[in-house]
Amino acid sequence: MALDKEKYQAFEDIVGKRNISQDPGVLETYRCIAQQSSAHYGPYVDHMTPLPQAVILPGSTEEVQNIIKLCNKYKIQFKASTTFWSAMGFIGSDYAVQIDMRRMKYLEIDEKNQMAIIEPHAIGAVVQAEAMKVGLNLNVPGVGCSSSVLASTSGWVGFGPSSYFMGCAGENLLGAEWVLPDGRIMRTGSLGAGAGWFCGEGPGPSARGIARGFAGSAGTMGICCRLAIRLHPWPGPANFPTEGTIPAYRAVLPDNFKTYTLCFPSWDAYAQAFNLFFENQDILYLGHRQFNMFGRDAKGAMVNILTDPDKQFCDLPELMKDPYIKKQTELMKIDIQVVIAGMTKRNMEYKEKAIDKILELTGGWKNEMMLKPEIVNWVLMYLLRLGHKNLNYTFCGAYEGNYGMSPNHFVTAPLMEEASEIKDKWAKKYTSIADTGGDSDMGSISIIGGGGATGWEFFVNFDAYDKDSIKGTKEFIDSTQEWMFKKGLGVDMGRWNADLRKSDGKNYSQEEHDAMYIKMPQPMFLTYNWKIRNVFNPNNLTGSYYRTLTPEKLKTD
Amino acid sequence: MSLQDFRAMMERCSNCSYCKWIPFDKMKSQRFAENCPSSSYYNFNTYSARGRFQLAQTLMDGRCDYSDTVTEVIHSCMACGLCDVSCKVCRYNLEPLEHNIELKVSAVEKGKILPEQKVIIDNLKKQMTMLPGKTKVKRLDWMKDLDLKDILKDKCDIAFFPGCKYSYDENLQNVCRSVIDIFKKAGVIVGTLGKSDNCCAGRALQMGFREEYTKAATANIKALEKSGVKTLVTPCSDCYHTFKRQYAKLGLKIQVLHTVEYLNTLIKEGKLKLTKEVPLTVTYHDPCHLGRLGEEYIPWEGKEKKILNQVHTWEPRRPRYNGAYGIYDAPREIIQSIPGVKLVEMERIREYSWCCGAGGGCSETYHEFASWTANERVTEANSTGADALVTACPWCESSFSNAVDENGKKIKVMDIIELVQQAI
Amino acid sequence: MGNKKNELTKIVGSSNVFDDPAILENYSKDSSFCSPMIPRLLVKVNNVNEVQKIVKWANKTNTPLIPVSSGPPHYKGDTVASVPEAVIIDLSGMKKIISINCQHRICIVEPGVTYGELQKALAKEGLTLSTSMAPRATKSVITSILEAEPRLNGLSQWEFFDPLRCMEVVWGDGNRMFTGEAAQGPLDLEKQWASQKWQVAGNGPFSTDFFRMLTMSQGTMGIVAWASLKCEILPTIHKMFFVPAQRPEQLNDFVRRVVRLRFSDELMVVNGFYLASLLGENAKEVKQLKAELPAWVALVGILGRKLLPEERLESQQLDIADIAQQFGLRMTPSLPGISGEKVLNKLINPSDEKCWKETAKGAFEDIFFLTTLDKTTMFIHMAHMMAEKAGYPASDIGVYIQPKHRGSCYHLEFNLPYNPDCTKSTQTAKDFFKKASKEFSDMGAYFSRPYGIWSRLQLNKDAQSTMILKDLKGIFDPNNIMNPGKLAV
Repeated sequence: MALDKEKYQAFEDIVGKRNISQDPGVLETYRCIAQQSSAHYGPYVDHMTPLPQAVILPGSTEEVQNIIKLCNKYKIQFKASTTFWSAMGFIGSDYAVQIDMRRMKYLEIDEKNQMAIIEPHAIGAVVQAEAMKVGLNLNVPGVGCSSSVLASTSGWVGFGPSSYFMGCAGENLLGAEWVLPDGRIMRTGSLGAGAGWFCGEGPGPSARGIARGFAGSAGTMGICCRLAIRLHPWPGPANFPTEGTIPAYRAVLPDNFKTYTLCFPSWDAYAQAFNLFFENQDILYLGHRQFNMFGRDAKGAMVNILTDPDKQFCDLPELMKDPYIKKQTELMKIDIQVVIAGMTKRNMEYKEKAIDKILELTGGWKNEMMLKPEIVNWVLMYLLRLGHKNLNYTFCGAYEGNYGMSPNHFVTAPLMEEASEIKDKWAKKYTSIADTGGDSDMGSISIIGGGGATGWEFFVNFDAYDKDSIKGTKEFIDSTQEWMFKKGLGVDMGRWNADLRKSDGKNYSQEEHDAMYIKMPQPMFLTYNWKIRNVFNPNNLTGSYYRTLTPEKLKTD
Repeated sequence: MSLQDFRAMMERCSNCSYCKWIPFDKMKSQRFAENCPSSSYYNFNTYSARGRFQLAQTLMDGRCDYSDTVTEVIHSCMACGLCDVSCKVCRYNLEPLEHNIELKVSAVEKGKILPEQKVIIDNLKKQMTMLPGKTKVKRLDWMKDLDLKDILKDKCDIAFFPGCKYSYDENLQNVCRSVIDIFKKAGVIVGTLGKSDNCCAGRALQMGFREEYTKAATANIKALEKSGVKTLVTPCSDCYHTFKRQYAKLGLKIQVLHTVEYLNTLIKEGKLKLTKEVPLTVTYHDPCHLGRLGEEYIPWEGKEKKILNQVHTWEPRRPRYNGAYGIYDAPREIIQSIPGVKLVEMERIREYSWCCGAGGGCSETYHEFASWTANERVTEANSTGADALVTACPWCESSFSNAVDENGKKIKVMDIIELVQQAI
Repeated sequence: MGNKKNELTKIVGSSNVFDDPAILENYSKDSSFCSPMIPRLLVKVNNVNEVQKIVKWANKTNTPLIPVSSGPPHYKGDTVASVPEAVIIDLSGMKKIISINCQHRICIVEPGVTYGELQKALAKEGLTLSTSMAPRATKSVITSILEAEPRLNGLSQWEFFDPLRCMEVVWGDGNRMFTGEAAQGPLDLEKQWASQKWQVAGNGPFSTDFFRMLTMSQGTMGIVAWASLKCEILPTIHKMFFVPAQRPEQLNDFVRRVVRLRFSDELMVVNGFYLASLLGENAKEVKQLKAELPAWVALVGILGRKLLPEERLESQQLDIADIAQQFGLRMTPSLPGISGEKVLNKLINPSDEKCWKETAKGAFEDIFFLTTLDKTTMFIHMAHMMAEKAGYPASDIGVYIQPKHRGSCYHLEFNLPYNPDCTKSTQTAKDFFKKASKEFSDMGAYFSRPYGIWSRLQLNKDAQSTMILKDLKGIFDPNNIMNPGKLAV
């Protein structure tokens, strides 16, 4: 339902005529068609988030604050997003406005203090491009370099291939300027003290804790407008040296960059290797099981397609049969891609030796095909910039991550074959998901800086245009969720957000959340979330991606 | 094709936002990282290729109608094709550019056009040119005294097709005359279509007027076939794309070359010698329709085929247009063969070059937006420190000639032909 | 009072409730310049159930509680009551090392566990815990970490509060829960371990970082019953090197480069007096060392673990030496008469019960805050200028610069020793402390741990943040019973 004239005018007065719209056609393009992207709660056929009452594009923190104050005045829900990745950035009510932050794109690199000060529309690739000019880099999370760095840092989990060396997004968060849902501005740490952006903690208890936990609050704790992140060393050239013919771009980097596909004889050896990297946390620049997302059987062929500008997916069956590729693919059945970056020649030599030693201790090897120069240069570019996120969708136009299992690699590794077999059997029996060899697990060597907690995610590729494929995929993830529960592994990644948005795209009510959360092993913490929301979001305007439990539901003595 | 044929793409587009940026692997700075003039200028998601997929879906499903805003959004696409290139770094089953144009076609079919477009198309119908105010009778004025053959009357292997902009724009007519002069010096004889020389109508297609385009194209193809020429050379990148890629779809079978390709061959064969020093530092702007949209048309008929249960492919192999094999090297080789000229590159080049602002007819329909787009490019050109911005398309040249950078500074704009002429 | 004592006795037993004025006197003040106040009672607790019962009781009776985990002496004023009728809740008896998991390098400890006790237990398992500089023998590991004391391996702190991970907390309202990933399992560690959950990830759960409500809070939000901590592999080889300089600014580029390239394991800069105070066994020795030691020195620790230890150490040693050379400095394995081993041992091992900073003159006060490396020199110059004005001997100021959070910020500490038996010396130090604190604050010093007078200096700078902090306090400690009066909220 459109805003009435008075309300619309009030918002327009804040941002100007050019930066607000309630044209139905425009509004429709601010709905998430959640069957297309990994929303972690479906997929559902013909599933869309509600139509916003208006779309508003603020240009400054002051404008954001005024918008939020107005939302409070009129009791209109709001949700901010910038790069609109996945469903969590979209509203969940018919009485809500969508805030599009793309006009706010400030970016400043403080080389001396190794930090970047950014606004929402500074995406990973541009922050990286600017940082590299002065020998620095940032943790580009798994969402890829197309997404807002601020969003990953403030609003969601934010780990990826580089988190082992650079830490995950939350760990890199320094000072932040945040408009809370009640319209107050929270400036965290040293920023609030007028001392600069270098620290996001304190004074005293860190207020940032209300808005950014393991995951961010997915836009439910107001709107983060500007923040600083820690940058990390980039011992490479000032410009990413990309060459080659589209789409087979590649980057020829100096000798102090190497990438290997490390392969292991068993999952046990794989877990041991992870632990050795955890124990020796300065070896890798980056570690990710990346190309297995194409599936255990298809990954070798896919690497060959993607590194050749003239190949297409129709070449896949033939390449999968190619004896050399087939053999190499088998040899990298249990694998991980790593990048090492030498800060000096000696440092590089040490890292090379360390890798060899770890392979020796675990019985592992480097995959031969992945050492071909054209593949090496493509892998380096792929992993360092992470600009190929959309390959996640390339097979069929849609994917959902599932399983997830445990970040404890000693728990997950022994279950990998069983999980893979379940997926393989499903694909063969029901054909609703791509059949690429069962194991399509990918993920980061660590979701925490320095290692020790692993990210796992099976890619389930399905066709967003094929209702049977969508339905079948949902059934598959329902079944893997059952398996996850049976194994005591908790919530399947494909259901991570199932308690946050309903199948009709709308918010859950408090009653519905209460009914769900009272069953949690320690529901207490959600009553504090309820209290936090009551104080900082008194009109409850930001939707149900914030988990709360009504305190009265919890009987305490 | 109809909009319905794009339904699968609409639903398979994953909202990744790649269509708003140059290929990430190529990004060198924040300032010159964006790729889509309309989404960069208007900011709303609606203006991006993703937004257009979603808008089309919405229109088809009847959830919204063609409001003035919607109509404006649809026609604001410059059809520059950079979203298409960025999308296809990863995706093998989406065609954002074709879709954007189909969305326009669909709007036009429903009468949802801009007032300025009506004037342009009326002129195409009446005066065989899409330049408002220009008349058929003056089309050949630029070639007075040049004594050019009429390929419909005289035997000639090569047709020279100047296109409307070079033919009518008094500031650009000299460039066209220079081409003829250079050809003569190299011993190349070309002719024109004479009275049958009409607008290629490529821009009509870019604007969604497929019917008008098809009508004009069919007549032009007939004339060319009648002439028996084997090769058509044009200095206009828009015309080049139209003949090479679009007319080929309608059955035109002759070789189509852009002047830069032809000149480069002449230089390489030693038929054209560039000996005079031209002390200039220049930067080269790749016109969209010569660069990423300059790939050759490959006939294909087939259908989608799923393998591995759900993986999309086509049977037989479908040609892929992603700018990989556009015309990028020929102009650069020409520039680098001129003594004294130093070529410095902008950040957005080759298949990921920023549009000049004239694409999709926007220079005639969205003046402010088109100027902003050109200004952006001039800012980029000035950031290289070049003395001049060289290009190979009259539309680009025209856009840049009035543009200023973010500091209000202009840049000398040169046609590559002028540069060659100075070196002879 | 009698009633309160009886009620507390019912919870912890009579042997754990103290109202002896002599005992309470010890808790009425500490070695800082804070105002003294005698608490009403001292209660010693042994487990979380007792803690929870006491907090609930305190809510009912509106009794202020001051949690104390470290043994005496105390130095920052945070354990001294700011309001009357307070009950000190002493957790130093909660001394269990609950678990050590080698595979995940996680140990779980109670608040009474000290560095000495923990390191010994960890060493048996081939592990160690990062440490603050020569922590005093009775220092609670949890308190030191919760209060974000600078750690020698600040370059390994991906998270600002590393090595802190999950916790069990009794909030000010008496509710009890786990934090971090531990909050998503049952409220029972053994059950969590049975399902292979080892309290590794400290953030969350979900969108709220509950542990951040407790860090740097000076006991104002709740009481921690245990914390899981990330350990390191025990080094098989560990060496300390020195990069001396005449002026602090000469070391800035060196430190910045080492941080940039991610080299070294321990890295800090101290001035000669600070190092002398650490090394000297008595005042005379401190004085002598001060005269002999370089004016400034960067201390660089490099270690090797199980994998290629020698290679790692050698490679880094040579690379860091190259960096020193690049900036006209020299890295040496020893200082005149002082070996790297001696300094390393002093740095990483616990000191006596009394803080080593007392050795020089008998007492001290510290001014410390966070800043960036480029600003440290400015503060140091100002400190010397102000000392001169205040009549405080500038050469007695110890300076310690410690990168934190991977070098995102730097702990800058001025150690001001004084003679507690001399009124003039004490008063001069006190005046200097106050004036310099104010001046530094005005210059942009960030007092992230706002003890004593710093709380007002800091929180007055941003009224909105203070209000937010008050709101948070209201959520977790609605009756304001946890260490009321601290943090200016």
